[in-house]
Amino acid sequence: MRSGNEPDSPAQPDITSLIPLVRRVVGARVHEATVAEDLVQETLTRVLATAPRVEPGLLESYAIVTARNVVSSLWREQDRHRRNQHRVVDLRPPDPPDTDLLASEEQGAVTRALAQLSERERHLLLAHEVNGRDTRSLAGEQGSTAGAVAAQLNRIRARLRVEYLLALDNAEPPTDRCRPVLLALSGGDRRRQREVDAGRHLLECELCARLSSPLLERGRQGRDDEVCIPIHSDGDIVAARQAARELAARLGFSRTDLTLIATAVSEVARNIVRFAEAGEVVVELLERPRPGVRVVARDTGPGIADVEQAMRDGYSTYHGLGLGLPGARRLMDEFAVASELGRGTTVTMTKWRRR
Amino acid sequence: MTPGPKLVSILRQGPYLIASVHTALDDTQMTRFQEDLIEQIGRHRSRGVIIDVAALDVLDSFATRTLRTIGEIARLRGARTIIVGIQPEVAFAIVSLGMSTGSLETALDLEEGLTYLDGPTWREPDRARAAR
Ligand SMILES: [Zn+2]
Repeated sequence: MRSGNEPDSPAQPDITSLIPLVRRVVGARVHEATVAEDLVQETLTRVLATAPRVEPGLLESYAIVTARNVVSSLWREQDRHRRNQHRVVDLRPPDPPDTDLLASEEQGAVTRALAQLSERERHLLLAHEVNGRDTRSLAGEQGSTAGAVAAQLNRIRARLRVEYLLALDNAEPPTDRCRPVLLALSGGDRRRQREVDAGRHLLECELCARLSSPLLERGRQGRDDEVCIPIHSDGDIVAARQAARELAARLGFSRTDLTLIATAVSEVARNIVRFAEAGEVVVELLERPRPGVRVVARDTGPGIADVEQAMRDGYSTYHGLGLGLPGARRLMDEFAVASELGRGTTVTMTKWRRR
Repeated sequence: MTPGPKLVSILRQGPYLIASVHTALDDTQMTRFQEDLIEQIGRHRSRGVIIDVAALDVLDSFATRTLRTIGEIARLRGARTIIVGIQPEVAFAIVSLGMSTGSLETALDLEEGLTYLDGPTWREPDRARAAR
């Protein structure tokens, strides 16, 4: 250990001077401006966190290596996020990876984070996430619209994530600007991030720099090439397949393929309504390795005891599980089912655009 | 039911019923459509039913199965059912899905459907223009 542990270490190296360099390294590899900017931020965050332990003369090289690593792990990370993003703070304690102690710490953090919300916010969030009330019925109760309730829920979730990370870190924000910055990052709201000059604050505030990494990783999912449809009732099945068709149409799929995609989404969304009651369908456009659309249908239902059997079931066998999974598989190019009894089922399916 | 444009219309034309689905139906609405149609077949002692699905961009397993059920119940009640207006890509999706549609009689459009119903003989199902 070098000077990092000493409270009075020499002045922080000037991270801002590294920005043009990092931009150049990232920009040469990632052409989409918003993604590139996210990666630049992430690189700077990492450099900042490690800077005290890096030889002063090596900081530039370190920044370049970090930028490259961040870029090359982009896809791996996105895969991981795809699997985890909706579980980050979904009110259930995550799998204990190591010990029960860790799990209970995380659960404690969720509890403390929930306590930071107002009574009304907590009520709304729990009614939706735990009791499975859909936005329409909540809107009716509030005399509001489903869209407004959904936006409200998004803001509450963004806040909960921030409070969760703060609680987990046992940290009290050192400045008045911390919470607004973390909120803007958590909500993936780029305009708001610019308003509060989030990038600058991350360079200045050690706590926010540390906490921003998981938030930035989430924020990257808030792009317009992805749509998430909560599934609670059979009306949502129609909404999901229409949303999937609309999104995929932007990628120039043929009418036939759009119909196959919409039909497959209909099948997997119905499984959620029938067997799990609550879940979501996430539709995402892919650019690499080639243009395509990926659909993830995720539920917190009872799970499927015998996935292989479910995949064999035809529609003719009316007494089979009737999950419609084999049918959906025939409509898509790639298809995978992961299911765990008592935890839920995730169906991931992809269709590539034909040349 | 929310007020607004009708999801489905069922019109009586002589001994026939012509049902048009105007917009995407969810499962509950689809089931209600089935019940309404069967009820009207009985009430009007209809001999033929045409179901126009040209407005639908998806016929998934539930919708296809419901159409099949309508056809079989109608047959048991002495009425012949013809599905018209299945879009080509929808037909392709039904086949890809692996649904059996052998018992469904189909025609390209309303006019052709009426011609079939007015025809002198029943077509054998296996000679019908059924997507399979
Ligand atoms: Zn801060």
